[in-house]
Amino acid sequence: MIKIVSAGLLAALMIVGNATAQTYVRYEQNGMASWGELKGDTIEQLSGAPYLEGKSTGKSVKRADVKLLAPVEPKLVFMTALNFKSHIGDREPAKYPGLFTVPAHSIIGPEDNIVRPAESKNLHYEAEMVVVVGKHAKNVPLEKAGDYIFGVTAGNDVSERDWQRNDIQWLRAKGTDGFNAVGPVLVKGLDYTNLEIEGRLNGERVQGQNSSDMLFDMNYMVYYISKYFTLEPGDLIWSGTMGSTKKMEPGDVYEVDVEGVGVLRNKVEQGK
Amino acid sequence: MKYNYKHFLSLAMMVLLLPSFASAGTYVRYEQGGKISWGELKGDLILELSDAPYLGGRETGNTVKPSIVRMLAPVDPKDVYMTAFNYKDHIPPANIKTTPYPGVFMVPAGTLIGPEDNIVHPSDSANIGYEAETVIVIGKRAKDVSVEDASDYIFGVTAGNDVSVRDWIDADIQWFRGKGAAGLNAVGPVLQTGLDYKNLTLTARLNGEVRQRGNTSNMIHNFDEMVSYISKYFVLNPGDIIWSGTIGTSEKLNVGDTYEIEIEGVGILKNEIVQGE
Repeated sequence: MIKIVSAGLLAALMIVGNATAQTYVRYEQNGMASWGELKGDTIEQLSGAPYLEGKSTGKSVKRADVKLLAPVEPKLVFMTALNFKSHIGDREPAKYPGLFTVPAHSIIGPEDNIVRPAESKNLHYEAEMVVVVGKHAKNVPLEKAGDYIFGVTAGNDVSERDWQRNDIQWLRAKGTDGFNAVGPVLVKGLDYTNLEIEGRLNGERVQGQNSSDMLFDMNYMVYYISKYFTLEPGDLIWSGTMGSTKKMEPGDVYEVDVEGVGVLRNKVEQGK
Repeated sequence: MKYNYKHFLSLAMMVLLLPSFASAGTYVRYEQGGKISWGELKGDLILELSDAPYLGGRETGNTVKPSIVRMLAPVDPKDVYMTAFNYKDHIPPANIKTTPYPGVFMVPAGTLIGPEDNIVHPSDSANIGYEAETVIVIGKRAKDVSVEDASDYIFGVTAGNDVSVRDWIDADIQWFRGKGAAGLNAVGPVLQTGLDYKNLTLTARLNGEVRQRGNTSNMIHNFDEMVSYISKYFVLNPGDIIWSGTIGTSEKLNVGDTYEIEIEGVGILKNEIVQGE
C-alpha cells in the first residue's frame, strides 16, 4: 500500500517535474510596471526580472486585473533574415545567420494594437519564436550556448515591405516604434529547438512551422552572435519567419501561437 | 568715467560673445581606479560631474588631472543611429541604391570604443576601412520633432570613426555585423557643446597624411533634418547619438596604422589598429 502511494506520489512529482515550465509576465497596475510569475489565474509579483534573479515579493494580483506588457526588457534585439527554408524561396541558404537589429523601443505587448503609420501601404505580419538571453555572453562555444538561453516567447516582426524594398537598410521597415509585438508570456523550461510556431490572420492559419526547421537554431544563433557582439541578460534573439507573408489591414487581428507559450494576439489599427 | 565708442564696442562684443561662451562646455567620460565618471574639462583639470551633462550632472567638487585617468568615449547612448551616403562626394558602390531621405541604420552601443582604445582588426576579415564622421549627442527626449525645432534637441558634438568591415558588408544581408561588431566604432576625445554643428570642418589623417576632409555644411541631410526624420519613426532619448555619414573615399586600414580625426572645436580622435586573435 505504502509502496503504491509513494509510486503514485513519485509519478505525480514527475508530472509536475515535466511541467516545470515556469511562466513569467510583465504587467502594469496603477501605472507601475512589474515582473511576476503566473500561476493559474494569479500573478505572484517578483522584485525584478526572473533572469536577473527577481524574487517573490509576497504580493499577488489577479491576472484579469492588470494589463500585460511585453514579457521582455532587452537592451539589444537581434533579428535574423531568411532563417527558414520555406521563407527563402529560390535563394540559396546563407552560410551563416543574416543578422540585423531593431531598437528595444520598437516593442509592444500582448494587449497593444499594431499601429499602421499613415504613410504605410504594405504592412506585413511575421510570426516568429523569440528567445530571451539569461546571462552575459561573449564568445560562447556552440555546445554551451543552451546555458545562456533563459526562456521563450512569441513575436510578430511587423514589416513595412515598401520601406524594406526602398530603403538602403531595413531599420525603418523592421524597427519603427510599435512594429514588434512580443508575448503574452515568457516561459522557461521549453525545448526551443522543437516547438510549433503558427501564425493566424483573422483566425485562419497562414504561417506554420516547427523551430526544428530553422537553418540556424537558437543555440547556433547565441554562438554566432556572441562572436561579434556582447549579449546581456534580457536581450532578445528572434528566429526569423517562415513561409510567405501578406499584408495586414486596419481591423485585422494577427495571432502568433508558439507551442507552450500561448497566443500573442494583436489588432491592427490605422495611425494618424 | 567717460564713455566713448570703444567702451560701447567692447560692451557690445561682450554681449554678443557671452551667450556662446556660456553654452560652450567640454565634457569627458573617464575611468579612474575602476570607476567611470563624467567630468567637465577646464584647462588641465577635470571637474567631476554627478551624471552625464545632458542629464543635468552637477559638479561634485572632486577634481582630477586628465593625465592620470583613462579617457573613455564621451558618450553613453542607448541607441546609435548611423547614416549611409550623406555627402555627395561619398559615392555609393554601383550595386547600392540611394534614397531622397536619410539612409538610417543602427549599431549596438556595445560597439563603441574610446579615444585611448585600439581598433582591433578582426582575424576573419581581409579588409577593414576607416570612415571619419561628425557625431551629435541628443540632449532631450525627442519624438515627432520638426526640422525648425530640432536644434533644441541636440546637446553637443564629438568625432567618430565608423570602422567598416568591407568583406562582411559585401557578404551579409544587412550591414549590421560589418558596421556594428563590438569595438568597431571609435568616439571622442571630448563632447563639446556650443559649436555650430552645421558648419564644422573635419580633417582625417592616415599615419599623418590627410585622407578625408569635409565640412558638415555639405551634408545632404543636415543634423536638424536627421533628428526630425529619425524622431518621426523612433523615440530619441538623451545621450543617443547620430552619425553624419562619411566623406570622400574610404580606404583600407592595416595593422599598425594610426587613423586620426580632427574636428574644429572637438580636437583629435586618434586610434591605432592592432591585430585581433
